[in-house]
Amino acid sequence: MASIELDQVTIEFPIYNARGRSLTVELFRRTVGGLIQADNSSYVSVVALRDINLFLTDGDRLGLIGHNGAGKTTLLRVLAGIYEPLVGRARINGTVASLTDITMGMDFERNGYENIMMRGVFLGLDPKEMRRMIPAIEEFTELGEFLTLPLRTYSSGMLLRLAFAVTTAIVPEILIMDELIGAGDAAFVVKATARLNQMISNSHILVIASHDVETIRRLCNKAALLQTGRVVKVGPVEEVISAYMGGGVQS
Amino acid sequence: MLVTIVALGLVYSYLFRMSLRDYLPSLTLGIVVWSLISSTVTDACTVFTGAGMYLQQSPLPKSLFVNRMLVRNLVTFAHNMTIIPLLYLAFQILPGWPILLAPIGLVIVTVNGFWIGLLLGMFCARFRDMPQMVASLMQIAFFVTPVMWRQDQLPADKSWLVDINPLANLLRLIRDPLMGRVPPTFAYVMGIVLIVIGFSVTLPFFVRFRSRIVYWV
Repeated sequence: MASIELDQVTIEFPIYNARGRSLTVELFRRTVGGLIQADNSSYVSVVALRDINLFLTDGDRLGLIGHNGAGKTTLLRVLAGIYEPLVGRARINGTVASLTDITMGMDFERNGYENIMMRGVFLGLDPKEMRRMIPAIEEFTELGEFLTLPLRTYSSGMLLRLAFAVTTAIVPEILIMDELIGAGDAAFVVKATARLNQMISNSHILVIASHDVETIRRLCNKAALLQTGRVVKVGPVEEVISAYMGGGVQS
Repeated sequence: MLVTIVALGLVYSYLFRMSLRDYLPSLTLGIVVWSLISSTVTDACTVFTGAGMYLQQSPLPKSLFVNRMLVRNLVTFAHNMTIIPLLYLAFQILPGWPILLAPIGLVIVTVNGFWIGLLLGMFCARFRDMPQMVASLMQIAFFVTPVMWRQDQLPADKSWLVDINPLANLLRLIRDPLMGRVPPTFAYVMGIVLIVIGFSVTLPFFVRFRSRIVYWV
């Protein structure tokens, strides 16, 4: 059983200026003690998420909505285990696949097959499993002979096809997406959508951030509205969407 | 690299009044091994800062990025090693059985490279003036380590200046076997002690700051 539990999670990014980034300045400051305390302004931080409490379990399909900079992507990264909270606690049980950048780890000098392996390893599969999956991926991409050529010869559509095919070949328990991924020309889109829906329905938990409320309506059974780093409303999709459309929640 | 070695070899053998036959083998091996050690240390600085894209997209184990740096340097080293058979041929050197000790030295150097990568990688992610400091320290280290010169050129009562140099001892662990000499036991002790001290300093730091790395890059 997969589950996600966030308890009072706060994510704060330190923003160092040139002085705060410097070891010489830091050492100097430590040795001379309180003399130049006024310099403390070199430390600024941005609170990207504040006191997030969230519990998700099998069957939950959560849609995250909110304006730019509300903390959607940061929250997705916490759920993927990328940002470990320094305040609060995050417990994530289950294999996670984060589809935020589906081309991550691909090497443009290597050919299609080598990149299928690379991408697979980045997604946490071992090379043996990956080799078994190659024929199916090969067929799905319809790239044929092109798979023996280096990636830099691909068009962006072909690159996306390949990345999409490998990324959707795995079966994670927790699926995390930043906007719906899609790829290719009209014929491929139909196939890709079917495959993505398959992947989504096989996953135990889905968390997707999107600006497109239709996507959220279609895929989710729960939604959360983020506003300046806080979850201001969680609940049934329609209620949260209408709060979002109505200009947010006054706090 | 071959060009560097020939150029330096010619000039410095005159400078030190040594025959090429005496000077070039130790210079060549010195440069090949030193470039492994020094590029490992300087690359250690960019282990995390150079992997920001990966760190922010995926919860990969942090040690992966250190291993990546080590493998890259070992591949470069293997590539540079191709000069060595040429050297043996040109000067008709037969290193004999001590050459079997070279892989052991390589393992000790690489294991040390691991903690250096982790520790410097973290520090350099937090403090952005560290890479420059490390680079200039390595420059100094190059001159005080017997790469271009030999320990026996120092007065006997000053040869401790080499013995206390950790990088010189790591260098010896690989270079001496390739020259057909058994490295001094002291160098092995130093190599192992460095591993023990290095890891016991690095691990607490790593445990404490591991989760912050991604916030720094």
